[in-house]
Amino acid sequence: MDSNQRRFIEDALDLLNELDEGLLQLEANPHARAPLEQVFRTMHTIKGAANMFGFENIGTLAHHLETLFDYVRQQQMQVTDELISITLQAFDKVRDLLKETDIASITSSDALNEHTARAIEFHRMADATLNPGNGASALQKDELCTFSIDIVPTLPITEDGNHPLVFIIQDIAALGTALTRVMKDATGNVAKWELYVATTVSQEELESYFIFVDGDCTVAFRKLASQSLFDQPHFIAYIQSLGDAPADPHTLMSWAGQKIAAKAENNDSTDDEPMSSGRRKVLNDTYIKVNKDNIDNLLNWISELIILQARFANAAAAIDSVELKDATEELYRVTHQLRDTSLEIGLVPVETLVTKFKRLVRDLSKNLDKKVNFLSEGAETKVDKDVIELMADPMIHLIRNAIDHGIEKPSERRASGKAEHGTVKLKAFTAGSYVNITISDDGKGISKENVLRKAVEKGIVSKDALLSDDEILQLIFHSGLSTAATVSDVSGRGVGMDVVKQKIHELRGDVSIKSFPGEGTSVHIRLPMSRSIIEGLLIRIGSSEYILPLTAVDKCYEVSTANLTADHCQKVMLDGALVPVFYMQEIFNERGHRPSILQVIKIHHDGYPVGITVDMILGEYQTVLKPLGDAYQHQEEFSGATILGDGRVALVFDTNKLVKRLILQPTV
Amino acid sequence: MKKTILVVDDFASIRDYVCETLQRKGYDTLGASNGNEAYAVLTAKSDQVSLVLTDYNMPDCTGFELLKKIKGNPTVSKVPVVFLTTESNPDKMRSAREAGLSAWIKKPYRAETFFAQIENAMSNG
Repeated sequence: MDSNQRRFIEDALDLLNELDEGLLQLEANPHARAPLEQVFRTMHTIKGAANMFGFENIGTLAHHLETLFDYVRQQQMQVTDELISITLQAFDKVRDLLKETDIASITSSDALNEHTARAIEFHRMADATLNPGNGASALQKDELCTFSIDIVPTLPITEDGNHPLVFIIQDIAALGTALTRVMKDATGNVAKWELYVATTVSQEELESYFIFVDGDCTVAFRKLASQSLFDQPHFIAYIQSLGDAPADPHTLMSWAGQKIAAKAENNDSTDDEPMSSGRRKVLNDTYIKVNKDNIDNLLNWISELIILQARFANAAAAIDSVELKDATEELYRVTHQLRDTSLEIGLVPVETLVTKFKRLVRDLSKNLDKKVNFLSEGAETKVDKDVIELMADPMIHLIRNAIDHGIEKPSERRASGKAEHGTVKLKAFTAGSYVNITISDDGKGISKENVLRKAVEKGIVSKDALLSDDEILQLIFHSGLSTAATVSDVSGRGVGMDVVKQKIHELRGDVSIKSFPGEGTSVHIRLPMSRSIIEGLLIRIGSSEYILPLTAVDKCYEVSTANLTADHCQKVMLDGALVPVFYMQEIFNERGHRPSILQVIKIHHDGYPVGITVDMILGEYQTVLKPLGDAYQHQEEFSGATILGDGRVALVFDTNKLVKRLILQPTV
Repeated sequence: MKKTILVVDDFASIRDYVCETLQRKGYDTLGASNGNEAYAVLTAKSDQVSLVLTDYNMPDCTGFELLKKIKGNPTVSKVPVVFLTTESNPDKMRSAREAGLSAWIKKPYRAETFFAQIENAMSNG
């Protein structure tokens, strides 16, 4: 594969996403002009580029599909589900093909046969509907015909000259089986070319080759036969018998038994309406592609710079110099600006997933005979590329659930006074350094009774447990719990939601669920915008400092140390509610001097409040998360470490795992 | 002096490829990704550009619109315009011819045809 081909593949994959997007828009608004033009133009570009870079199989497929959409543009055909489906499937296959690594399998002429055949078949059927009982159709140009073309130059041209006409004749000869005869005048210039060509290209298209040299020559076309004359020995014999003499038109036409095809003058003004699509991004000029490793590297160095800057600031604080102080402040400003800008580089809009989701919604609702609209809001919200990639599957799972379990069948929806079309909505927005994503549906909601019954059956909760509505909903995330009355192959067997939650937690995110019977369900995901930068509270427990991620923190309280006992888990009244509080100083065996007042930080754990005690809250701290060394991979409570301004290391809590361990093990 | 060709295509791989092909043949190239951008480049550097080689189907401003804009502006109307396109509708070709297009090169092209058309367009205007 050469570098041009590689670049083509990269660009083509972008184009295919745009094409998907356009097709889905078109499906939703079959009469809209803008998506139609976008789809048509994108296919056209794919076709042209594919042919140019040697991907003829893709070019051919795109050509047939493009023709179908051209019918739609010319209002000879309607956008149908089937048209959209065969197009989407065909380009899905192209997408898969382009992801192959060796050029031979990508360009394999058989690879797209099935889809090309379907497009041709669709084309044929469309033609049959358009021209019932009449063979004349656009497909006819695929029929093999033999033409004779006489070209008489009106200015001196030599046979081996550089006039475009010389090359046009060669180009036409290359369109099929051909034979070119050249007759010269006394000066050696070309008096006339006689070109015989058996080709599937239409006469109109052949004529178009001469449009731009029509001042330099006269051209006469004759359609000799609706077959190739090159397999007729007497035709070849006749041509060979001519020597240098011109062929006799009458003899030639006797092969055809038909009149010289009259050229229909077609004066239709060409419709060159501006392609109304301001939406399309010109990716090529405003964006450059960068290797992700480079960005990771950059971020890594910037994180080191931030740590150094903090150390520098600490050291500078000890020296009494106005100039040093100014420089330190300036350095702080610049490094943080640099960090923000560079973080931005690695972010991609949620939109990259949206097209995928639209496809999913479309395909799934068709499979399940449901009518579903997919809406997205805030698709421009940006998230770390890694986060997007890791979140794709969990989000797909959530959308599947929404369609499979949430949205009712159209008849059911009608019966309960809802619109037949259900809605699945994805909403994304940024708040601070977090990205919030909500996936909601207006389906039947989750039956809390069913969830509770299942949970009791499976022994997840005891029969006489009293659970709040929220607590029941939280059970959805418990592994091995599925409430689908019949297990469908769409949403799986309840091995999903626990994985969804786990993935979100791995990204230091948070997930919650709300559901109202008859109104629908909404899942709310909160994720850090970047995987490496963490916002936390810097706290001290005993002699060590730790970082507690801000995502988990709810509220801070002051509690008199005298009120705390060494009990593993005691209840403390906070804001009028009893909250289990873990006495961290005891748990970490920090038995030094105690202040008379301890801080209790309320954190969320699976939606439940849990308190942990700390000696002191030192403040908010934005820092860079570093992995722990191999020796510490087995510990659970910490997700990583960071280096503080004075060069010391602070461990970063993984609050979910910490609390889980505290609950499971009576003593640490 | 090297001649400069303004290459207009919204698809970067093709634009880059065409530019490289032309550079190997000894031309200087400028690039633009749609008709509006091309027109802006051309009017700013009208004394440098010897030929505009443009795609037909592009968002925002098509090759045909670009052609009409160029031919309608006396300061740049002398610059020959050539389409390099997969489009092969004869009616469109005729309209473009009438609007002053110098040549229509179909993609995929043969290198020889390509250069003959370009050179011919530049010498004949």
